[in-house]
Amino acid sequence: MEEVDKAGADRLICRCEEITEREIREAIRAGARSVVEIKRWTRAGMGICQGRSCRRLVERILAEELHLRPEEVAISSFRQPVRPVSMRSMDEEN
Amino acid sequence: METMRCEVAVLGAGVNGTSIAYELCRRGKSVLLLDRKVMGAGASGACDDMILLQSKKPGILLEMAFASLERFKALVDELPCDIEFDTRGGTILIEDGEHLAVMEDFVAKQRACGLDVEIIDAARLRGLQPLVARDIIASTYSPTDSQVNPMLLMKGFALGGTKLGLRHRSGVWPLGIDRLAEGWALDLSDGSRVEAEAIVDAAGAWANDLTKMIGFQVPIAPRKGQVVVTESLPPIGATNVWSAQYIVSKLKPQAAPASGAEAAAKKPADRFGLGFAFTGTHSGNYLIGSTRENAGYDTTTDPEALGLITRQVQRFFPALSRINFIRSFAGLRPSTPDGMPILGEVPGAPRFFVAAGHQVMADLICGDKPTFPMEAFAPGRFAATSPGAAR
Repeated sequence: MEEVDKAGADRLICRCEEITEREIREAIRAGARSVVEIKRWTRAGMGICQGRSCRRLVERILAEELHLRPEEVAISSFRQPVRPVSMRSMDEEN
Repeated sequence: METMRCEVAVLGAGVNGTSIAYELCRRGKSVLLLDRKVMGAGASGACDDMILLQSKKPGILLEMAFASLERFKALVDELPCDIEFDTRGGTILIEDGEHLAVMEDFVAKQRACGLDVEIIDAARLRGLQPLVARDIIASTYSPTDSQVNPMLLMKGFALGGTKLGLRHRSGVWPLGIDRLAEGWALDLSDGSRVEAEAIVDAAGAWANDLTKMIGFQVPIAPRKGQVVVTESLPPIGATNVWSAQYIVSKLKPQAAPASGAEAAAKKPADRFGLGFAFTGTHSGNYLIGSTRENAGYDTTTDPEALGLITRQVQRFFPALSRINFIRSFAGLRPSTPDGMPILGEVPGAPRFFVAAGHQVMADLICGDKPTFPMEAFAPGRFAATSPGAAR
């Protein structure tokens, strides 16, 4: 964690939910082993952009922490509607 | 490969499995918690956050819900992380005289069981929920209904259990379960082996995958629920909200899966078992559901069901038509033919326990007298098959 602290562990990885690099590394050190677990423990990727910004960053931190190759990190699911959609846009007349 | 030994192997790391594992660790047991995927990969990670007393049938299920609520309150201080427990109370919206009659009867029975709940008129409802549609004629109100964040609850049980010696492995699953002279042996998917004095099957809608390895069938079927998640919003009213139709759908005897012409003839809302559930999370996102579908193990969300849910939101809260939803998900509830959980030791299989649907299992496993009479939940109550007979 030392070099991370110097590099700025307080920088935001998930900007929507304001989750820092430190919080994500702490989740992994507490036992999270996948992007989906990090998402559920920290909320990284659960905001309005649905992980469009932070998904890759979280995968990279996970690979670093667990000494995995990037292709060994399981990607988390993409969920409808991908981009925010208003309630009324789902009405039948639309 | 190595053999791991433990007193109890808990299979399934959802709210049930993590809770049982934690409670057993508190009682000094050595516990191994296994999950096929990751923590909360099943229903516990794809649900809403309610501890809803008003939906419980008067009787033992409501009694157990009271005990659960007290346990949740204690866990707030006991677990090593915040679980976002809150008591906002709940209102069940009543649209017409028919539903009013059903709810008056239901509320009277719940009051007799000691639940603080009443029917309130439209004016009082608007005091609690100013944005509710003008034509809602009445509502129930209970100040007791509460909520907890299931993700954080599982995290708390796992972290709390780990401090007490809990071992947890994800991504591994038994391929075979064999009876030993004392206890059970599990051959895991990664080639390793576990020997346990007792097994707890906490696999929810997948519980039968495990019991059938010892020749026992539990009649558990997945019942799909689709949920829509809104963007983060300021608080909408004081309470969480359901529709009387949600309660009616839930109380209905579980119908056989509709298929073919019969299904096509039904209205979409009936075909999807639609009911309104509207709960606000600590982060400001609202979770809005849901459906009750017999759709096998499929967890995709589909536009037709999401359209039913979003139209229903606007029916009850017209002001929300312009707000966005950002996500949807579907989870699989473990449903049983009689609507009761399956909790107890499998007949003919000593120290093999099934725990699908509730968490009062530590007493049974430790051989203590359970707080509740457990006969109504016994895994053998449906049984024509026992492990002895099926072999």
